Amino acid sequence: MSLYKQDKRQVCESCFDYIFIEMVHYFNDIDNSTDKEKELKSSKLEQMGYLTGQSLAERLTGDRSRFTDNLDVIKFVCKDFWSTIFKKQVDNLKTNHKGTYVLTDNNFKWFSKMSSNSGQEDFKKEVLPYLSFPCGIIRGVLSNLGINCTVLADVNPPNQCIFQIKTVKS
Amino acid sequence: MSLTAINTLTKISCVAVIGKMNNPMFIKNYSNEVDELKFHYLANISCDLIEAKITQSKYNDSYLGLLYIMEDLAVYGYLTNTKIKIIIILTISINPVKDMEMKQIFKKVHAVYSNLISNPFYDPDSRNITSSSFIKGIDNIVNTSFQNDVTPS
Repeated sequence: MSLYKQDKRQVCESCFDYIFIEMVHYFNDIDNSTDKEKELKSSKLEQMGYLTGQSLAERLTGDRSRFTDNLDVIKFVCKDFWSTIFKKQVDNLKTNHKGTYVLTDNNFKWFSKMSSNSGQEDFKKEVLPYLSFPCGIIRGVLSNLGINCTVLADVNPPNQCIFQIKTVKS
Repeated sequence: MSLTAINTLTKISCVAVIGKMNNPMFIKNYSNEVDELKFHYLANISCDLIEAKITQSKYNDSYLGLLYIMEDLAVYGYLTNTKIKIIIILTISINPVKDMEMKQIFKKVHAVYSNLISNPFYDPDSRNITSSSFIKGIDNIVNTSFQNDVTPS
């Protein structure tokens, strides 16, 4: 499934990798920012992801039959959406059937080129800002498909990512 | 204009895009004979019909087909997975309209809408679509549709 069917536009992966790195730098690398400012910046990144996700949802679901329930939408995110954005499917999907879904990706593509000299805990701290944008994308996709939710992410070095989706009753 | 002259050619008379909350975002009149208010009214009726249709499992495709016919206007509906309703009103002729053809037109309209959403300068909270490239895109679809219709002598 290609993103731009009409004119077969493509995105250079390396260019995207660089812009992704710079985006996070732009919002996080200002030394004298307080914790509050940092939070504000990560929410800005999240908002950028949200808008991206909204338009992706519109484009990617054009040829699909109608979704029957929330699980159907989550399955779409795990399979079609994930393979479009991250070139692979989610490795594990867990749910408690009460509105919480846990998506595990054992080899998160956007982190595949990252490593750190410091220990595991420090690496986690360094890598967390990079998760706001993908979290926002997932929230945007789901919200445009009718699921209001919050998305939290965690990372297990080297590059296993766990996204926790909690749906909010509207 | 005589009645026979109107009815020999199928053409799109109106294209409407209705938002998630059943708010009309875009309604454009392409007909010279029909008052715009009538299209607002027809589009509103369609919202309820679409809601009723999607509860039936046989309509699990985005394309919902012919919703109803009123006088010489045929109303077709399409519901995207993101709950955007697209309504196309045709002035019908004696030539039958093929479902496949309508489906293609709806897909094109949806593609133009997707492009609008992807525009970073578009405000998703705005109530009306005023983007010139969107309007141009829709105009283009309307002008190129039903070109192959043969006018019977």
